[in-house]
Amino acid sequence: MPVITVYINGQKISTESGVTILEVCKANNIPMLTLCHLKGLHDIGACRLCLVEIEGVNRLLSGCTTQVADNMMIRTDTDRIKRYQRITVELFFAERNHVCAVCVANGNCELQQAGYAVGLDHIRYPFLYPECNVDTSHPWFVMDHNRCIMCTRCVRVCTQVEGAGNWGVMNRGHDVRIISDFNTPWGESSTCTDCGKCVHACPTGAIWPKAVAQGQLTKYPEMIGELVEKRKLLQ
Amino acid sequence: MKRPFANASSGLSATDPRVKLLDTRMKKENFRPDALIEILHAAQNAYGYLPMPVLQHISNKLHIPPARVFSTVTFYHFFSLKSRGDHTCLVCTGTACYVKGAQQLLDAVEKSFGIKAGEVSADNKLGLQVARCIGACGLAPAVVIDEEVQAKTDGQQLVAKIHEKLEAI
Repeated sequence: MPVITVYINGQKISTESGVTILEVCKANNIPMLTLCHLKGLHDIGACRLCLVEIEGVNRLLSGCTTQVADNMMIRTDTDRIKRYQRITVELFFAERNHVCAVCVANGNCELQQAGYAVGLDHIRYPFLYPECNVDTSHPWFVMDHNRCIMCTRCVRVCTQVEGAGNWGVMNRGHDVRIISDFNTPWGESSTCTDCGKCVHACPTGAIWPKAVAQGQLTKYPEMIGELVEKRKLLQ
Repeated sequence: MKRPFANASSGLSATDPRVKLLDTRMKKENFRPDALIEILHAAQNAYGYLPMPVLQHISNKLHIPPARVFSTVTFYHFFSLKSRGDHTCLVCTGTACYVKGAQQLLDAVEKSFGIKAGEVSADNKLGLQVARCIGACGLAPAVVIDEEVQAKTDGQQLVAKIHEKLEAI
């Protein structure tokens, strides 16, 4: 891979080509907000938190799906990006029923951390309060759609890493929901292997193991990336 | 907990001509997973809608996880999980048709047949649907009954036309 030079926030960085802006930022300790990104899974640019400004490009691009090019001038810290990130996080909170105080993931939640990172103190948009199910049919795990942010990390980890394909996404727009099999209870799934990878991949308290109290949830999302690396060695 | 691991049985009868037709179609496509949409089209043509056992059958045969089949079906408005009735009445509620009285048409059908938009009558004879715009604004208010467009219609005419269609078979 040829080595190229990019400028991130004015800092000159040498990197190999073919990598994404997010990967370069991570390697160089440049902070970048992410929610739908998880090492080991294909990036889809869904959460729009890793937005970057690139000189010569009018619109904002997602850092996780944009590859670096030679002499690219990238900014990750402009007021415009910060404004949009804050709007995005506010909309995440307004879209479903997120109540940190009663959530198992309180203190260990990527959405909550994103809220702190953008300095969220109130939400300017009306809450939608959609009616969401809580699926407790699985013997060990719970799927709480109230806390789901539709990052589809569970869907991707189940399809791309476990290979089971238990999870999917149904409908469109406001009505989108994560589904197991044919929108049937998780406990009755004919595809789920009970591996628990989706539990660790979930950035919020939407999927969690039973018998965990409020604020007691610990997840190891890094485990997914390590697992993918180890599986490469097997091939 | 006991789960039917591996593929759940679809419970479809192998002698059903519609199942045979579907199987032939899948074989023609070499059971390629990326032929899913074509197969779903064929299934909806054969059944009029997509019953759950058919989705299970397709999922088993094409080796596509059930969730992916269901995602595809719910993403496209063309596919329907519920029966749309033997006859369908599609009322356009686009701006022009709405101004020209699409709501009165819907009310007339609701009053005569006891079904609301999106519903099917108890005997499964008639289904009532609405469309955002069917692109025939010059014919407003327009209704499509069994793929036949009724232009500049009113409640009385429409109800008479539906009765005519229902009695035709």
